[in-house]
Amino acid sequence: MKPDVPKALEIVAGRLLFDVAPHVAPSYRQSSVGVTAMLLGIVREEWDRAAARRVQENAALRALFRDALPVVTDTDLRGKLAAAADSADASLLVSELDASNDALRALLIELHAHVETLQSAAARALEDAIWRELVASTERRKLSLAPF
Amino acid sequence: MHELAPRIAAYATGRLPQAAELEVADVERIHGGASRETYRLKLRYRDGATRVERRLILRRDPPGSLIETDRAIEFAAYRAFHSTPVPVPEALWLENDPSHLDYPFFVMEELAGFEASPQTILMPPYSGHHEKLAQQKWSILGAIASADPEKLGLVGPMAPVAPTEAWRRELDHWTRVIDEDQLEPQPIMRAAIRWLRRNPPPAPARLHVVHGDYPTGNFLYDKEGNVRGILDWEMAHLGDPLEDLAWSLNRVWCWARDGRVGGLTSKENAIRIWESASGLRADPEALRWWELFSSLKGQAIWISSGREYQAGKNQDPVLALSGWWLMNAQDRAALETLGKLG
Repeated sequence: MKPDVPKALEIVAGRLLFDVAPHVAPSYRQSSVGVTAMLLGIVREEWDRAAARRVQENAALRALFRDALPVVTDTDLRGKLAAAADSADASLLVSELDASNDALRALLIELHAHVETLQSAAARALEDAIWRELVASTERRKLSLAPF
Repeated sequence: MHELAPRIAAYATGRLPQAAELEVADVERIHGGASRETYRLKLRYRDGATRVERRLILRRDPPGSLIETDRAIEFAAYRAFHSTPVPVPEALWLENDPSHLDYPFFVMEELAGFEASPQTILMPPYSGHHEKLAQQKWSILGAIASADPEKLGLVGPMAPVAPTEAWRRELDHWTRVIDEDQLEPQPIMRAAIRWLRRNPPPAPARLHVVHGDYPTGNFLYDKEGNVRGILDWEMAHLGDPLEDLAWSLNRVWCWARDGRVGGLTSKENAIRIWESASGLRADPEALRWWELFSSLKGQAIWISSGREYQAGKNQDPVLALSGWWLMNAQDRAALETLGKLG
């Protein structure tokens, strides 16, 4: 799409904020226009990285599940992890990547809760790896204007 | 004329039978917290020979809201703290019958001429008063913590709980909100919930009033750096006062993006002010529990806002913004409290 989507969103958000909002009344609606401009700014930031960060995260989770197999003692869970590790994203559509990501992160919760109950050094190492992935997941989603 | 004006006037006439020539003017919806529709208005009438004009705030339940709360509790909190060292507007009328304005509502006085925005406070002339504002902000929170809920008449309107169970009631409630409203898996919050259950905090010596939502943004301030009114009591309840302190320290309220809590001062200074004003000690390990809990509670609210917006129950864009802007920051705050952020 040309003009580039981030550029178009930047211009639309700026016009809403500086050209439209000052002329809107009452103050509640004026404020809502400003909030809408902020939403467009967030979409602008997300647009370019949306597919990439989902592909990266889904791959990281599948690798983590593969590494977890020798540590996990629950047979059912090990089966689910093995299947998930061998799965693949159906396409690069964001909606399909999201569906995969939801399934993988739900399984990550199950794995994390299970590993917390195990006592071995390998379990602790796996738990550390899970935390590293959770930290990485927030870095992938971080917004430049977030308060923290 | 706003469509609500004649209906509010009809209601006020019933509340003020002695009033003559009553009229409602300048009804305007304003941003006033995320859980209720908030309107500013002027009420004019004649009382005998006296002309009266009152600036009022009307808070009405919306079809969908960010926080599902009991308006009676919010009203009771305003009533209880009026004319105490905790500055609040005078609460006038509570109406649960939806026939008057389609939804239940309450009316209170407007504390006019002050700011509430957490962004405006970062700019001159307010930015020159941050330490003074911080002193007042956390002193007032300490005053809320030191108040006796029995003497204030709040035990009853607010459900009591055994001090040993205060943490569990809050944790159960906000976990349930996430269970019911999440639109996607929450691995960081699920890990936080497990940690919170494994490591319960010590119980407070007694039950305290907990405001429930005390960030910069929920109080009124003036150009001289004075806090003039504490608002948004919709999540007030009885519990552990460290819950309020921790919520006020939440990383997502670091509006200046420089680590100062509430955009005003250092975390250590805020705790020192609160301890001095409340006469209580913020045990670091107990406070850590409540800080992690505050990330869970915050995330539950952002999750609920996203669900409301996606379901189309409430199309206020601030609900979408809450989800997009704060959810990841809240996850990062939880990771920091757990010592995982590095």
